[in-house]
Amino acid sequence: MLGTAPPPSVTPLLAPAERLAVRRPGAAATTPPSYWGALEPLLPQVRKPAQYVGGEHNQVVTPWQAAATRWLLCYPDTYEVGQPNQGIQILYEVLNERATALAERAYAPWVDLEALQREHDIPTFSLETHRPLWAFDVFAVSLPHELGHTNLLNLLDLGRVPHRAADRGALDPIVLVGGHAAYNPEPLAPFVDAAVMGDGEEVVLAIDDVVRRWKHDHLEAHADGTDAASPGPEARHVLLRRLADVEGVYVPAFYAPRYHDDGRLKRTVPVEPGVPALVPKRTVQDLEAWPYPRKQLVPMTETVHERFSVEIFRGCTRGCRFCQAGMITRPVRERRPETVQRLVEEGVRDTGFEEVGLLSLSSADHSAIGPIARDLADTYEGTTTSLSLPSTRVDAFNVTLSNELARNGRRTGLTFAPEAGSERMRAVINKMVSEDDLLRTAEIAFSEGWRHIKLYFMVGLPTETDEDVLAIAELGIETYLLARRHGRANKVTISVGGFVPKPHTPFQWAAQDPPEEIRRKLSLIRHAIKDHSGLKLRTNDPEEGVIEGLLARGDRRVAAAVERAWQLGARFDGWHEMPTLATWRQALEETGVDLAWFSYRERDQREALPWDHLDAGLDKDWLWEDWQDAQGDQQLDDCRWSACYDCGVCPGLSIEHDTGYTGGYRLPVLPQGLGGSDALPVTPERYAAGG
Amino acid sequence: MTQRYRIRWTKVGRTRFVSARDLTSVWERALRRADLPIAYSEGFTPHAKVSFPDALPVSVSSTGEYAELTFAAPIVPERDLARLSAALPEGMDVLTYLVVPDGAPKLARMLRATLWELVWPPADAAALTELLRRRGDALLRADHAEVIRHRPDGDRTVDVRPAVLDLATSLRRAPDGADARTVLRAVLRNDGPTVRPTDLFAALSHDDIAAPPTTCRVAQGEHVPEGLREALSGEVAPLVPDVDAEAA
Ligand code: SF4
Repeated sequence: MLGTAPPPSVTPLLAPAERLAVRRPGAAATTPPSYWGALEPLLPQVRKPAQYVGGEHNQVVTPWQAAATRWLLCYPDTYEVGQPNQGIQILYEVLNERATALAERAYAPWVDLEALQREHDIPTFSLETHRPLWAFDVFAVSLPHELGHTNLLNLLDLGRVPHRAADRGALDPIVLVGGHAAYNPEPLAPFVDAAVMGDGEEVVLAIDDVVRRWKHDHLEAHADGTDAASPGPEARHVLLRRLADVEGVYVPAFYAPRYHDDGRLKRTVPVEPGVPALVPKRTVQDLEAWPYPRKQLVPMTETVHERFSVEIFRGCTRGCRFCQAGMITRPVRERRPETVQRLVEEGVRDTGFEEVGLLSLSSADHSAIGPIARDLADTYEGTTTSLSLPSTRVDAFNVTLSNELARNGRRTGLTFAPEAGSERMRAVINKMVSEDDLLRTAEIAFSEGWRHIKLYFMVGLPTETDEDVLAIAELGIETYLLARRHGRANKVTISVGGFVPKPHTPFQWAAQDPPEEIRRKLSLIRHAIKDHSGLKLRTNDPEEGVIEGLLARGDRRVAAAVERAWQLGARFDGWHEMPTLATWRQALEETGVDLAWFSYRERDQREALPWDHLDAGLDKDWLWEDWQDAQGDQQLDDCRWSACYDCGVCPGLSIEHDTGYTGGYRLPVLPQGLGGSDALPVTPERYAAGG
Repeated sequence: MTQRYRIRWTKVGRTRFVSARDLTSVWERALRRADLPIAYSEGFTPHAKVSFPDALPVSVSSTGEYAELTFAAPIVPERDLARLSAALPEGMDVLTYLVVPDGAPKLARMLRATLWELVWPPADAAALTELLRRRGDALLRADHAEVIRHRPDGDRTVDVRPAVLDLATSLRRAPDGADARTVLRAVLRNDGPTVRPTDLFAALSHDDIAAPPTTCRVAQGEHVPEGLREALSGEVAPLVPDVDAEAA
């Protein structure tokens, strides 16, 4: 055929001497090939090609030879989902501000591009310069949930890095995982070199120091210009050993699980001299010292959250017993209102984003949220910049707050998360919301002009009966009838998901409901609301929780199933477009992993858990007691404003909740009764006094 | 006191992969970063008053994109449009502008034809140029040239001929002395049923020519015997590119 382009030729630099040259620190390095030339002609054939090109506002491109250490930060899902991730953006900025480091980003290619990459020999690449994964020193992967595990293996394989850690040599990158799913990395243990628990800002720099020094010792060219012999496996062991000395870093290869004859875990023990028996998580005490991300990336193509986001506090102490995020991110650390205001103003100017999001696990709980909201609303009044707060707290104050933030815009939808339908069930999960609170809040919201309320619930919670399930429908119907009294166009949506028990929570011992049971419960709700056609029900596919649940609480033996599922083609496990459950079932069968044993079984107090050697700061006995209390419907107050329960977090870390509440002034938001005050609270003195 | 501007801009390099539906937010954010007083529509979800006359297919590059911008306050065009150009992603640049007087005809009426350019890699350039010349001439002599356009929702037959105002194939030597490439330039009408450069290629390829790796919308305006008179500048973009001029 005339006019055919020659196949793009990029020589894979795979000979050890060449790989060593690429990995050298600083000016002595050879710059690895860019795959842009090979990729560009293929992009017209794939969906949403803009996700692979990079070039966004605020991307950082550092010459290869200007850096001693080179990181590839990865979110193992599509760009659309991963780009807005705050964790990656924070680390990207923190690392790139360091003169000796370089950080680029990678996301998972959708299956259409992956097929072309395999056909044309294009490895996993960075977005900024399209350099191959194998050329970087550290491949740091954020795992906010468990459904990216197969993608992680796939990215390694596509990036020409052996997917098993034991097969990697000194010239392969270090594979690090972080994020919430890294609090139980056992199902990934054979594949990752290290897992990092907790806040990333400080530990990433500590790891960077270790890698830089190690490269200096093992990869630097000799002074006389002759090549060092390629470093062998001992060199990699040295690096892993040094990493294990960094607080918060867990190297799975240095630990081994021991099992009872009946298959239960006895315990996980260190098998390398000198590594800690219990690996602690990292906690950044002073959020003020880390005002990131400041220079947020502005995508050129659609993503799931397109806004300038500021984290207003980290942690949550409400103690909802199902909530892993709330448990593992304790204690609460707030950002000061003036810092929030400054970050927003500078960020909006710098990025051009039209929307600002105030992020946290429970934003209305910031001790100065009223003043923060008012000041921002004042600043942007009459402009086209809109403000948003992910609202989950059920109270009138939240409505007032949302009114304030919506000054510029339309009062469209409010979201509340009562999580369970019956009063009893909410006591079990420790979500302290009464039905009256909810209805009163809804009443206020609709009377103040809001048009749509979304309510989030879960089914499959411990001790749940059909009566509890039907209470979801009843609450939905009551809210809906109330909505209609305020306007015929008003809407109510109830969103119901299946509960998945997670490690490091009081529900870590609970049995998960199998998908058939979740489906049955959902149909109870569907049936109960069928006479109210305006009340919308949204549910997830109950099967989605199956893989998530297995990987959340699986042990090291589950890794065989992860590997097999990936080999059989499982990818993008969280996507409807990719129904992978059948593949997983085959993998489970072939590897002899018993799903029911891992997921649908209640554990007892004496059973060792696969994450017992990983310390998220929560005392296991405390969690067990709370689990017992849950089964007796006992509620716990929020420890931010009532007595400490000795959950273990604060004394263990010798730090305290860093909030405006600790200063000893009157509480601006009243937790009791949860109606709170309808007025916006005044600025707490601590802030007014400037500290 | 609003002010309307029509501008010509480029969409090349990485930005050629940005889809038409993502363009609005890319421009809105660039305008905000450049701090220009763009006007907004009324209503609950106000939108910046930026309009694009027609959508460019994803992956096609262009030096002939247009936009109409309405500002809420007067701007200093040289300075401010340069600032906008700098704020836009690399590959998107503002080339020229025109203030729109009241009662001016619609922008689309000034963009009645497009000059397209298809470029092949250097392999077989001489033979390919020769072949495309013959087929191009044959196409111009014919009354109809029907091709099948494949779509996910079914195939459609399109007559390419009525849209072709003129076309020419030439051999372009690169300024850096690299191997010459085959270049096909065609002026297609914008009014009437849509005919894309891919349709034109289908009419010429007879299944023995590889699809060109680069397609570019060079400019839009009015068809003239030498090529195309660009809408905003009035300059003529030639059908047979002047190699020396391009090298300069
Ligand atoms: S309020 Fe409850 S559900 Fe929300 S983050 Fe805190 S503990 Fe988790």
